[in-house]
Amino acid sequence: MVSTNQPDTARPARRSLLHTNPSVLWFMGLLGLFTLGVSILSEGMGIGVLSTSMVKILGMTLCLCLIAICMDVVWGYCGILSLGHFAFFGLGGYAIGMWLMYARTEIVIRDSLAGATIPPTELEVTDAVTAQIFGVVGSSELPLIWSFAGSLPIQLAMVVLVPGLLALVFGWLAFRSRVTGVYLSILTQAMTLALSLYLFQNDTGLRGNNGLSGLQNIPGALHVPQSVLSVWFFWASAFALGAGYLLFAWVVSGKFGSVIKAIRDNETRVRFLGYNVEGYKLFVFTLTAVVSGIAGALYYPQAGIINPAEIAPIASIYLAVWVAIGGRGRLYGAVIGAATVSLMSSWLTGGGAPNINFGSYRFLWTDWWLVVLGLGFVAVTLFFPKGIGGLFDYLVRKKP
Amino acid sequence: MTTLLEVSGVSVTFDGFRAINNLSIAISEPELRAVIGPNGAGKTTFMDIVTGKTRPDSGSVRWGERQVDLLKLSESQIAKAGVGRKFQKPTVFEEQSVRDNLAMALANKRGPLSVLVWHMTTSDSARILELATEIGLQDRLDHRAGDLSHGQKQWLEIGMLLAQDPRLLLVDEPAAGMTPGEREHTTDLLKRAAKTRAVMVIEHDMEFIRRLECRVTVLHEGSVLAEGSLDHVTKNQQVIDVYLGR
Repeated sequence: MVSTNQPDTARPARRSLLHTNPSVLWFMGLLGLFTLGVSILSEGMGIGVLSTSMVKILGMTLCLCLIAICMDVVWGYCGILSLGHFAFFGLGGYAIGMWLMYARTEIVIRDSLAGATIPPTELEVTDAVTAQIFGVVGSSELPLIWSFAGSLPIQLAMVVLVPGLLALVFGWLAFRSRVTGVYLSILTQAMTLALSLYLFQNDTGLRGNNGLSGLQNIPGALHVPQSVLSVWFFWASAFALGAGYLLFAWVVSGKFGSVIKAIRDNETRVRFLGYNVEGYKLFVFTLTAVVSGIAGALYYPQAGIINPAEIAPIASIYLAVWVAIGGRGRLYGAVIGAATVSLMSSWLTGGGAPNINFGSYRFLWTDWWLVVLGLGFVAVTLFFPKGIGGLFDYLVRKKP
Repeated sequence: MTTLLEVSGVSVTFDGFRAINNLSIAISEPELRAVIGPNGAGKTTFMDIVTGKTRPDSGSVRWGERQVDLLKLSESQIAKAGVGRKFQKPTVFEEQSVRDNLAMALANKRGPLSVLVWHMTTSDSARILELATEIGLQDRLDHRAGDLSHGQKQWLEIGMLLAQDPRLLLVDEPAAGMTPGEREHTTDLLKRAAKTRAVMVIEHDMEFIRRLECRVTVLHEGSVLAEGSLDHVTKNQQVIDVYLGR
């Protein structure tokens, strides 16, 4: 029974994150190269091969990759198929959008009133800003939730706090009642649907179906051309993705990762080991919601507009599809899935791809893309359960 | 020797079927106890009740010196209080390495934040190696648990149980699927564990129980039919009728 060759247990087990996860180093390197490449090719900073709108699309894609990582941690690692994470993404977008819209409108109003002989009072400015923002929904009062919209630090805190609190309360209620599996997925869908329907109403204080617009104009940087701003936001998105990747790589690599994977595979057994399963799920759910909020806060200034349709249930379902296609249970898989599918989607439905003529029938990508995506999803599920990321297993043969 | 666990007057009904009927059973620390009985006698349900998986309709389960009411605790709280369980079907985390399985079971802090910042210390590492040696898996620490043979999975689960450092071990059919050599090793392991802890073993294999050389409780239709040495209970006519005779 006792073997003569001592296994490597005796050596100190404290190994660095990068040592145990070479993929992290690869990812960081590629992300750095990609960022550098886009900067050099951009219109605003470089030789101008990439248009400003293209840089924005790429920056937004990085934000989508970040929320895909969140989805992978919550679903691929912890086994919670949340179909509501885009609600947190949207809330982050709304939180920053309120400041962007308010602060910019305030600047515009102050500029237009600057020439007046009697300087405007603060109340007059606030009223004018309110009329400007809420005239579209027929309201002249500043909603309570806009009380701090003029303050960037407070709205930045909201980016983190609002999604975090919603996830904390929702998760606490759901996990405490031991709602799992498909029932939990349905609940998360209900949450995002309810939020979206609520925001569609005009009297909720977030401009109903108009949403918040003009978010591409950054107060304090209004003189900076969009071509340069787009690169700044691209950098910020790349930084957030890199930081998020490192954070979650660290979270899932150690014993915490072991426990949440164990919860995914057999949560009853984990309870009998003495772990409070609900606490772990709540922790993962809330942490990923917070990071999703940050991703949303970076996405919408690049998109320029946010409206309740963004957090419709379908968005969160797409998120699950991206992660499944990219490969669950590996962070780079989520990034690959989100980048590939969302870029293909905007290329094929944006008229970028040539339509195909089949004699009398013209194959239009805009009509057929969802069908192709659906078939692709089914094919991946059936034939490559590990997704695109699984292909790397063939490249990197693990030592036996 | 003091009473560690005292189950008294416990009953549980599933859809009208009385799985446990006014069951009273107690175990001391340290003690080794075997629980036998025909299928459906309520052996596994008994373990479900003690570990918090099933809530009984009536009765009480008291634990330790302070007579804690286990029925008020959740599964994870009961496990933390010192009750470890090995399931009938080996349930290890197949996707993860033997080392990770053992590391998760080690008696360290269980909260999300302390686990997040946890690093394997030299003593953790040594303890894992010690456990792995005890269960004969010291060469397979970095293998996927799913690649182990059935018997090795059984052992890994016993190792995880020992890693938890519980005061009471509930062991459901530990020898199922093991070769005679492996069975012998398992008996040694359980007997050694029972020197310092309370160990309760459910088994069908009479040879295995004979080797344990311990007190035996016979369950039938959800309550205790007989209790005593193996020779004593095997001579009991009722036991022969309902269990041994078949």
